[in-house]
Amino acid sequence: MKRWICLLIILALAVFVVAQKVTIIANAIKGGKNTQVVEWFEKFLPDIEKELGIQVELIQTGIKDEDFKARIVLDIKGGGGADILWIDGFWVPEFVEAGYLRPIDDILESIPAWKYYFDSMKAMGSYKGKTYLVPASTDVRMIYYNKELFKKAGIPIPWQPKSWDDIIKTARIIKEKLPGVIPLQINAGTEMGEATTMQGFFMVLLGAGGNLYDWDSGKWIVNSSALRDTLNFYKQIYVDEKLGDAQLQVSPGAREKTFDLFRQEKIAMYVEGTWMYTSVLNPNNPSWGFPDRDERIGWAAMPGRGRPGDPEFVSISGGTGFAVNPNTKNIKLVAEVLKRILYVEPQLSYFMLKPFVSPRSDLADSCWTVNKDKFIAETSRALVKYTTFRPAFPVYPEISFQAQLLTERVVTKQMTIEQALKDFAAEVTRIVGKQNVIEKP
Amino acid sequence: MQKKYLIGKKAVVLLLIPALILISIFLIFPAIWVLKLGMTNETLTGIKAREPDFVGFENFLRIFSDRFFYNALRISLLFVFGSAIVGQAGLGMILALLTYRKSRRLRTTVQSIVILAWIIPEVVVAYLWIAFLDKDFGTLNVTLSWFGFEKVNWFYNHPILTIVLFNTWRGTAYSMLLFSAALETIPPSYLETADIIGTSAWRKFKDIVLPNIKSYIFTDLILITLWTFNVFTPYLLTGGGPAFKTELLPIYIYRNAFRYFKIGYGSAISTVVLLINLLLAIFYITLSRRKRT
Repeated sequence: MKRWICLLIILALAVFVVAQKVTIIANAIKGGKNTQVVEWFEKFLPDIEKELGIQVELIQTGIKDEDFKARIVLDIKGGGGADILWIDGFWVPEFVEAGYLRPIDDILESIPAWKYYFDSMKAMGSYKGKTYLVPASTDVRMIYYNKELFKKAGIPIPWQPKSWDDIIKTARIIKEKLPGVIPLQINAGTEMGEATTMQGFFMVLLGAGGNLYDWDSGKWIVNSSALRDTLNFYKQIYVDEKLGDAQLQVSPGAREKTFDLFRQEKIAMYVEGTWMYTSVLNPNNPSWGFPDRDERIGWAAMPGRGRPGDPEFVSISGGTGFAVNPNTKNIKLVAEVLKRILYVEPQLSYFMLKPFVSPRSDLADSCWTVNKDKFIAETSRALVKYTTFRPAFPVYPEISFQAQLLTERVVTKQMTIEQALKDFAAEVTRIVGKQNVIEKP
Repeated sequence: MQKKYLIGKKAVVLLLIPALILISIFLIFPAIWVLKLGMTNETLTGIKAREPDFVGFENFLRIFSDRFFYNALRISLLFVFGSAIVGQAGLGMILALLTYRKSRRLRTTVQSIVILAWIIPEVVVAYLWIAFLDKDFGTLNVTLSWFGFEKVNWFYNHPILTIVLFNTWRGTAYSMLLFSAALETIPPSYLETADIIGTSAWRKFKDIVLPNIKSYIFTDLILITLWTFNVFTPYLLTGGGPAFKTELLPIYIYRNAFRYFKIGYGSAISTVVLLINLLLAIFYITLSRRKRT
């Protein structure tokens, strides 16, 4: 009898062990968005599975960032979801406030690589004194330009504008010399979502010495001359001189369509992040990759407005990372998997597939030494010193939407700059309260 | 003398109970839940996801001062009028009349084609229409350019027309089938007599067809109005854009509740839309009752 019970227990345990599974979700899909991420996981997940004797499953999505966020939120709120979440760092505060992330300080203690992370990067993943996210990579933002189109238009290469005027002048030449080519796209509108705020609005606003948030007083800026000039710049490009295509910016699937047109060499200049070069234009990307990317596509630092006192160049950084679902059943296994993802070996093989600006010191030099990625090396060297981060408070996404709306109203001529700014100020004030807004000269 | 029923009253109640339970679980309870959510400031992320406050009618007051609400309401009404009443019911009636008393083969062919548009899954349909109307690669623009016409950005320049045409194409089958069936109920002798005395087509329609199928028309209008009011498929075509020009009420709800995570506010809008639907239904029902008496 006893023997039978023993056998039963062993059997039950065996079933339990076999059923053990750790799931990872990332906004990536093979052959599409972030295909390199999937290829990377396929490469080393089997080893982890073998070593730990468990199943590790990657849930592929490859959808719009906003939809991905909604999926994760609904998954967790519904009591389920993947164990390890590869999410955007700026979602951390609002997720934590809602109780959607598990603090991982206890896990990090057992992860040897954690001590190599830069403090600024650790800050991105923490909120109110606890850590919730291990940064996977960070980035910088810049202007990409198509060298072939520039050559055809007779613009000398390498090209580096020193002010907004330089950008406009170049765009005018392209408009005149190359009909059918959109000279310049700087993201605007709500369809582009956060890509408008980060790659468009902030890149212009910072160049005028402005910001959405005043770090000194801790208040949101609802009106300033920098804000006004930012909108004037948008208006000049999209409305007055038609150097950009406003219809494209607000049409459905705008971001993918823009990548399509950039790939077809119908866009000469486009402001985007590191990701554009390493993933979208990557020669191994079947949808948008350029086989001769390194020869064909150039980059330039985004200049400031060009008046005395304005920043010389600007960039803003975001980053993604690994967080842990509070609904996870087996935290020990999750910790083991996470630990192995952060080993140097897989990190380097990820870098090989999709180079990134590293958030940790032991890998930061790898682009110089191990893999010799010229693009990452040069952009990091040139732009990291100028870069800044967005004010990722829980309320930020709402303010960010208002900023997208602001640009949309101006580029589609729905409102004048004054009307749009008035609406923006009223909405932001309603969101954060009168005591938390400020007007700047 | 007591009227004889097929089954007793008790049995009727007993048989209704399962249906009532299902309706309570899947319709009435969620409606009350939405009403309750609509009175909170609950969000899907942030602190209000865990500790929402009761705010009474604040959300409702905000809806009525929200320009996006009026925008969505206006577009929804245009959409219902254009695609449901004029489009689906009008075109459905025309098709039904054109094939009425015609050869069976013609009728089957026309009906099959129209029904095809009705039974294809929504995602596929949306994809087909995007492929058809896309500015750069769409079939329509490519064809037009063969004849020397300029390419038109349909989604951008004619957003409402686009979704109205789309939904007309999509949903005409229902009205057409219903009207075809209704026409079959008219005793053939009426029209044959009219034929003999040489009545004009318009008089035949006005004096014989219309009075005979009036109640079917009202049924059709109630159903398609409510369906169209709540339809979400245009989202797959336009995402509510460009610049909110095709943002129907359901898309407006979706945007607030699931894109900006304001689930409380989204629920409040849902409640308002529910009331609008009720009003529409009551309007049609009273109208059809009045006509009958």
